[in-house]
Amino acid sequence: MNRQRRKDFLLPLGGEQSFEPPVPPQSLMVGNVPSQESPEQVALAAHRDARQLVRLVQCPQCSRPLSAPATLPCGHTVCRRCLPHPRPRANISYPNTPDRLFGLACPLPQCGAEHAAAECNVDVTLSKLVELIKAEMTKHNPSTHATPTQLEEILQCDDSMAMEEKEKMRDISNQRVLHGGRLVSTFTMAEIGELQYGSDLVYHTLSSTGDDYQQLDNALLDRLREVAHKELDCLVCYTLMMDPTTTSCGHTFCRRCLARVMDHSSICPVCRRDLHIPASLQNKCSNALLNSLLNGLCPDLVAARAAAAEAEEQPGDDTLTTPLFVCTLALPTMPTFLHVFEPRYRLMMRRCVEGNRQFGMVMYNRTSAPQGDLGPTQFLEYGTLLEIVNFELLRDGRSFVETRGVGRFRICAHGMLDGYHVGRIERVEDLSLAEEGELEQRETTSAQELADQFQRENPDAALPADIALNLHSTQNLLDSCMEFIRQMRQASAPWLSARIVSVYGEPPEDPALFPYWFASVLPITEEEKYVLLRTNRVRERLKIVYSWIGRIRGQRWPSGNACSIL
Amino acid sequence: MALPKRIIKETERLMAEPVQGISAIPHEENLRHFDVVIFGPSQSPYEGGVFKAELFLPEDYPMAPPKVRFLTKIYHPNIDRLGRICLDVLKSNWSPALQIRTILLSIQALLGAPNPDDPLANDVAQQWKEDQNKAIATAKEWTEKYAKP
Ligand SMILES: [Zn+2]
Ligand SMILES: [Zn+2]
Ligand SMILES: [Zn+2]
Ligand SMILES: [Zn+2]
Repeated sequence: MNRQRRKDFLLPLGGEQSFEPPVPPQSLMVGNVPSQESPEQVALAAHRDARQLVRLVQCPQCSRPLSAPATLPCGHTVCRRCLPHPRPRANISYPNTPDRLFGLACPLPQCGAEHAAAECNVDVTLSKLVELIKAEMTKHNPSTHATPTQLEEILQCDDSMAMEEKEKMRDISNQRVLHGGRLVSTFTMAEIGELQYGSDLVYHTLSSTGDDYQQLDNALLDRLREVAHKELDCLVCYTLMMDPTTTSCGHTFCRRCLARVMDHSSICPVCRRDLHIPASLQNKCSNALLNSLLNGLCPDLVAARAAAAEAEEQPGDDTLTTPLFVCTLALPTMPTFLHVFEPRYRLMMRRCVEGNRQFGMVMYNRTSAPQGDLGPTQFLEYGTLLEIVNFELLRDGRSFVETRGVGRFRICAHGMLDGYHVGRIERVEDLSLAEEGELEQRETTSAQELADQFQRENPDAALPADIALNLHSTQNLLDSCMEFIRQMRQASAPWLSARIVSVYGEPPEDPALFPYWFASVLPITEEEKYVLLRTNRVRERLKIVYSWIGRIRGQRWPSGNACSIL
Repeated sequence: MALPKRIIKETERLMAEPVQGISAIPHEENLRHFDVVIFGPSQSPYEGGVFKAELFLPEDYPMAPPKVRFLTKIYHPNIDRLGRICLDVLKSNWSPALQIRTILLSIQALLGAPNPDDPLANDVAQQWKEDQNKAIATAKEWTEKYAKP
């Protein structure tokens, strides 16, 4: 259950102390670290891009084809054997597990960070993938020497290098005659350690017919795509990994899938090791190499997957666009504080924070009463649209959310999305000022006539309550409410303490808004306050809160003790 | 609401490569609801029995486990009178990397290896511990009586 902190103050004793805005002003604004998104990617071509394709499975450290690759917290991948020896980390004592107390300097110059040894494990998906690729390369390596290509390595030069230095580099660069087309020969060159990671290659076919063996490359790449594809499905969603993100235990999932898993538990779904990562996956790097492989091998599938994911984030009925938080009463213009810990609502909040920051708050339908056309839904028909003002994400995935009521709505249709409710809503607005004025005139005039008639007939009796109420002008109703507030303050009513006023502000002098403020501070049940959400006339709202005052006064409540009316 | 890709794929695979001794067929009008049949494992008191069960994939599947319940009466210390099953992978040990197939296999394995130390049906567990032979005989009897087609 998500509990609203504000409820604390309904407790008869000491509630006041615990009533404070739970969200500190310096709250973090949390957003996802955007993952690298590649612009319109074109698939790498087997022949033309052979060098680039082989680089994808080369270790940036030792330049050989990756062997037991480890993906580091920075998202880069090297062979495990290419990792430097772990050394004790300075000034680190938490978490106090042996493998976290040791660190290793990231061998990649673009990173340079010190990674905890615990987070540098073999990448299960990539290991399998490079083994499969190696096997295919071996299978396609011809035993006869009938398809010769000359490969000339072009070492990477720095522009700052002197001319003769560049000359010298040409001398030390490798040259080889290898067989089986560009892909196989390039891979072979990397295998024998004669192709630097950063180097380029110039190819000359030595075929007597001038054949450049392009069809060999095409056939091999088709085969590589086929074997790779089977390994690139996420174990949570069963589709192509989208923005693959690798855990410290070496298991890889779509970024979104991993985030959803972390909403529900802190362990890896595959090996059940503890992961200690926040569900926002904030600061968690994507697997750069897997992303490059996906984009290089099958950009069309990657694009289709992204489109499908976007469609899946929408409910089947794309008019159900408002997420619904079923929890408590919220009121327009007033703050509502939420402590979110149910996994489905964690997901909802994350999506809200990334989106337009708005969601609908509705109350539980405790009596299962039918809700208009919706029938006996789990929630009440009318609610308040809330906007997130502050979002504080805790390490364990819970969050404190400060919101403000934007407006009221009625639910026209509803459905489910990933475990939470979504709805199509219709805003509930007040009547125009002209209509409001007419209504006041009509009501007060007719009440006056009724009152005169009643008094003529019953000179000594008190006016019936409904007539007496309708006699008041709208301004008069507000003034009476304000007067009541003044009296209650003088009597030090606990529900009007400085604390509460600092959260909800001074009572608004706008008759349209006053009832929301009053309902926010007054300790009566939410079900009673709920009727305000259904009103579309200012006067009607004021009459409702005025009647609450009548009840409170009727219960002789001079001390302002909140419990007496609970 | 559209059915998630994963549920479609799992269903297709269940149909294409059925598991030995288990069948799971989705309802036509609700593809999250499966009619399940589990054959009692050989060399267990349930051998020869055909046990019907229902399986439902909740809204937040695979984040939450499937809900499974036996419909055929069964005498088993980890299955109660309402057919509810006490099995860790259906509760706290669920992981989204598990699937319908693995869950049904676990349930079949549970039939082959009753665990009276972690009971759901207390009376059955009690009898199982006090007089295992008699309990097994009762389980066989029930299988004969309720689980024969
Ligand atoms: Zn690094
Ligand atoms: Zn290496
Ligand atoms: Zn996934
Ligand atoms: Zn793992």
